Amino acid sequence: MNTFDLQKPTSIEGAAALLPTSSDSRQAVLLAGGQDLLGELKDGLVEPERVVNLKGVAGLDAMNWEADGSLTLGALVTLQSLAEEPRVLEEMAVLAEAAQQVGSPQIRSVGTVGGNLNQRPRCWYYRNADSVCLKKGGTHCFAQLGENKYNAILGGGPTYIVHPSDLAPALVALGASAVLVSPRGRRTVLLSEYYLLPADDGITRETIREPDEVLASVHVPVQRQGMRSTYIKFRERGSYDWALSSVALCLWMSDGMTTGARLVLGGVAPTPWRCESSELLLVGHAVDEQTIRRVVDEALRQAEPLSDNAYKVPLTKGLVTRALQTLAS
Amino acid sequence: MTSARNRPEWGSNDTHALLNSDIPRVDGPEKVTGRAIYTHDIRLPQMVYARLVVCPYPRAKIKSQSYRKARKVPGVVHGAPFKEVGDSIAFQGADGVVGAIVAETPEAAAAGLCGVKIDYEVLEPVVTPEDALAPGAPVVGRRGNVTGLSSSGDRAEVEAALSECAAVVRGTFRVPVQHHVSLETHGVVVDYRGGNEATVYFSTQGVTGSNREFASHLDLPSENVRVVAHNVGGGFGAKFGGGIEGRIACELALELRRPVHLMLTREDEFLMAGNRSGSEQRVIAGASRDGVFKALAVEADRHGGVGRGALPTPPYIYSVGNTYSEIRSVHTATDSSRAMRAPGHPQASFAMESVLDELAYGINMDPVEFRKKNLADPVYHRQLDRVAKEIGWLEHPHRTQPGVPENALAVGIGFGVAIWGSRSRDITVVDVRIGPDGSVLAATGVQDIGQGARTLVAAIVAEELGLAAHEVSTDIGDSRLPPSVASGGSVTTGSLGPSVKDGAFNARVELAKRIAPMLDAEPEEIRFADHRVFVEGDSGRSVSWKQACASLGKDPLQVSGRFQPHLRDQGIHGAQAAKVEVDLLTGRVTVLKMVSIQDQGLPLNRMAIRSQMNGGMIQALSFALFEERVLDKKTGLMLSGNLENYKIAGCGEMPELVAIIDDEDTREAVMGMAEASNIPGHSAIGNAIYNACGLRLREMPFTPARVLQAKGGMS
Amino acid sequence: MTPDDRSPSEQDELDELSGLSRRSFLKGAGGGVVAGALAGGLAQPSTSEGVVPQEASAPGASTVSLSGRHQIALQVNGEQVLVDVEPQTTLLGALRHHVSPPMTGTKEVCDRGSCGACTVIVDGRPVYSCMQLADDMPGHAIRTIEGIGTPDDLSPVQEEFCRFDGLMCGFCTPGFIVASTACLEKHGAPDVDTIKRELSGNVCRCGTQTHIIRAVQAAGESGVLKGER
Repeated sequence: MNTFDLQKPTSIEGAAALLPTSSDSRQAVLLAGGQDLLGELKDGLVEPERVVNLKGVAGLDAMNWEADGSLTLGALVTLQSLAEEPRVLEEMAVLAEAAQQVGSPQIRSVGTVGGNLNQRPRCWYYRNADSVCLKKGGTHCFAQLGENKYNAILGGGPTYIVHPSDLAPALVALGASAVLVSPRGRRTVLLSEYYLLPADDGITRETIREPDEVLASVHVPVQRQGMRSTYIKFRERGSYDWALSSVALCLWMSDGMTTGARLVLGGVAPTPWRCESSELLLVGHAVDEQTIRRVVDEALRQAEPLSDNAYKVPLTKGLVTRALQTLAS
Repeated sequence: MTSARNRPEWGSNDTHALLNSDIPRVDGPEKVTGRAIYTHDIRLPQMVYARLVVCPYPRAKIKSQSYRKARKVPGVVHGAPFKEVGDSIAFQGADGVVGAIVAETPEAAAAGLCGVKIDYEVLEPVVTPEDALAPGAPVVGRRGNVTGLSSSGDRAEVEAALSECAAVVRGTFRVPVQHHVSLETHGVVVDYRGGNEATVYFSTQGVTGSNREFASHLDLPSENVRVVAHNVGGGFGAKFGGGIEGRIACELALELRRPVHLMLTREDEFLMAGNRSGSEQRVIAGASRDGVFKALAVEADRHGGVGRGALPTPPYIYSVGNTYSEIRSVHTATDSSRAMRAPGHPQASFAMESVLDELAYGINMDPVEFRKKNLADPVYHRQLDRVAKEIGWLEHPHRTQPGVPENALAVGIGFGVAIWGSRSRDITVVDVRIGPDGSVLAATGVQDIGQGARTLVAAIVAEELGLAAHEVSTDIGDSRLPPSVASGGSVTTGSLGPSVKDGAFNARVELAKRIAPMLDAEPEEIRFADHRVFVEGDSGRSVSWKQACASLGKDPLQVSGRFQPHLRDQGIHGAQAAKVEVDLLTGRVTVLKMVSIQDQGLPLNRMAIRSQMNGGMIQALSFALFEERVLDKKTGLMLSGNLENYKIAGCGEMPELVAIIDDEDTREAVMGMAEASNIPGHSAIGNAIYNACGLRLREMPFTPARVLQAKGGMS
Repeated sequence: MTPDDRSPSEQDELDELSGLSRRSFLKGAGGGVVAGALAGGLAQPSTSEGVVPQEASAPGASTVSLSGRHQIALQVNGEQVLVDVEPQTTLLGALRHHVSPPMTGTKEVCDRGSCGACTVIVDGRPVYSCMQLADDMPGHAIRTIEGIGTPDDLSPVQEEFCRFDGLMCGFCTPGFIVASTACLEKHGAPDVDTIKRELSGNVCRCGTQTHIIRAVQAAGESGVLKGER
């Protein structure tokens, strides 16, 4: 780790003002829970002059249920407090289950909602300081033709990272939005539009967040009555690992028929991967074997595996199948 | 209870007061409270922290380098390269150490490292065996990329035998390079501040004599250098010599005249602290319809990087009618392999046990029966029967053909056996001192690397003197103590135990001589038990341990013990079984249960032995499911060089473990057993996967990706 | 050691620097030194030349800026400990290297939040001390292995680790003890699945996990109430 100055603003606007206006991580980086950033600093992936610490901003760790039943999560809400919040457990199982499965207990004690949503990829080449890959301003995505068993099968090219967040697929499935604050003011964006595919200017970044923007909070709207939801995370090492593939599923059923569905995949694409055409195949049908087969085939129809990750296709189909069977039963 | 004889004897295994029972570690309280001091924890006045500058590429040339910025970092006291511009790096590992930074604090050293700028010309890396064997490949070793070819047997005879077999199996078995992952990394603290003496704190498996290596680096007489290793955070075969890090720390201490703390970072540890060699074994094997293993041909490559690698000669443990084998080392420009728990055996086990299994199923024979038919030693028969019973094999629904999974979930059981020499060395001397206050101290240079050497020393002495283990103090882990053995190859118990027993015996005999007149008895009649010293057959004539010791007067009683070959034996077996669940929808292999049985003569400390067995099964489980070194094929950069990417089993993966001490082994002698329990577990898991669902995985680890690939479920 | 690339003038510079290795240096956008308290904690210049909390210019008028070596107060095992740190010093580094005397029971193994050997309890929750900046710690209650039992007065879970041989080389052990303590204080008498989940962020290489799980279960069942220590 290099030497840096640690700045602790007391307001979110103050934090934004300390951030660089261009994407130059040599100037300043943002610290929330630090469970990703400290790794980046230790690995020498970023060597900033300043670290802007959000922990001095009062109230950022607040979790508020609004009068209309929606939920506002401050950027510094910890994963553990989210995982243990009774109303989240009851009303938004997909979000609680996602939070419960992030990292390890030690990570969840400290890791935050904001940090989880904005963490950088775990691609082996990205994380190796000596590998100047496309994501770090180089000329090639080394994973494409290299060691890629954990990389993307959907939405890849020209880089093939997968977004590592567990919360993101769950929150996208719930239709959540993020509040971003910069010296120019604040804006609210749907999380489904927050993440960028590499082909859409998402090569050296994963989100639309500008360098001087701070994600201040996340808003989860109230859900239509009768939602059942779940988050299934499949880890190579069950104890503690990233998702090889994950499924966030929200389902509304009436008289054995699906009346609504949201299906978002994690661990398989550079962004949380919404499967809208699969959702449409569910609506109006019973969750039977035939429907499940059509849904999973459609969800992975566009998959383009690399040399070592074709297994993610049957794996993900299996997980979507399990998620549908679990919620429909 | 001990009786007087003219030489020490263990006695039969059911006569011990303390030994052959569960003896808690005497250093447990120190370790569970964080008070135990390891090399990492040494703090000395004026100490500085060194970090190595390590080239990440296996082969490279230094185009330019600058340490100027590094030296300007506040707190950095030294920063210099070991190689010049234009110099080459020939292989990943020791040759990749190109410089060092020394600073007042670890943070400053790390920041200094950020300031080192080196521009490398990256050369063709030669990291895969295919690279090494390609025509025109750069030559990695001095003697070429292929060395150590040895062959045995007659190929034609094997071919002839194969033609008569009812079942023939052909397969290529691949085992990746595995790391030791000692949780305490390699390293030293060299306390040299000028003058004629030095102390080196050293995380090592071999304290005795290691002072000579450091003395040579420090240019001091070896008797002036003391090496200390009071606690060692794991070694597993990789921590013998001081390595390049030991040499550099000495050189830095000589230059700076300050104590130097040089422990490898985790990343460095993965790059340069050794590994278990990988292997590729191309096998053809055949069996007759009645279950006789008739023929075996093996062509095998050892993948030990610039090292030789290890692999025992086929047919390994089993009896085979005709065997032909050809083994060679294929060298890549990667870190040298080092000894790792039963070097070569887990690799050989994987190929042989898998082939055995395939042959058994090929002739519709129970794989346990097939094994027994082809194992001459009856010890294996009883051990296989025992683990089969314990794992539930007899009630298992499919024993001669794999199961047909229902609901995508399949349960299977598999087996494997082990062998180990468990030799010993005649080197250990143990000093035993009994004080007039009743204190007992046993001292020898052995190290406790987690195997429980300290407890073993205390317990043997305590048994002899009728005391509790914690009442015997121990002094170990110091090169100035009487010599002992380096801990590797399960030699510690067999090499140390007899000397401790001899020392304790001598102490008892000597004390009996002093006490006998007090009790109006002959020395031969004096017995020691339950903190009392008494006359055999007349418990009325007795004194307490304290009273007995008080009779020594002012001076303590001091004796020594030496190696007694009759107190040790060698040669052990072992069998394991694993029960797994395979989820064919996701490819997940869950190990449900493992059973291990182990013979080792007199089980000195049953708890420590069970811990070793469980440790062996857990390491095998971890190896089977997760572990694999990954290097980028184009550049040679290490991609798995941290504990996130190099995965080892966690608590979530823990199955039910059953560790059985084979009490039918009645040898009244001691020997080590740890290596054997590391050998067959992953093979049993691989065989269990096949038994569950009919997928034969010939490459480790058995990841979801491999299971799904084998299932052919690609869309 | 092989000859290096230093020129004589660089060597002079180096010698000069080494003598000043403990210096701190002023930096920051704002003006005056604030010698007062940080939010929830204490921060003081460690030397008269040293520096420290600074005010940045508006709009972060109240922004505290830390630069170079400075002193903070940590609450460790119920006692206030003054320690000199730099902004990049982790809690693990502060404990192992900068408090006096050093607290080396907490181990450094992976240094990346992957292994649990550095686990400490902060405000009742287990955290990886290698992934915490020391400067974030003032105002929080830190418990380390040194605050959980002594060799002569083991905590219940420490006793069970010894009884079930939940340790071999012992290097992962302090982290496991701390994580187990946090688990027991949270769950009282946890079942095996809960123990496995709560200890999933710790690794052991010798292979003591099954013994650890049994020890934690036994400590829970022994009825020693959570929060006893």
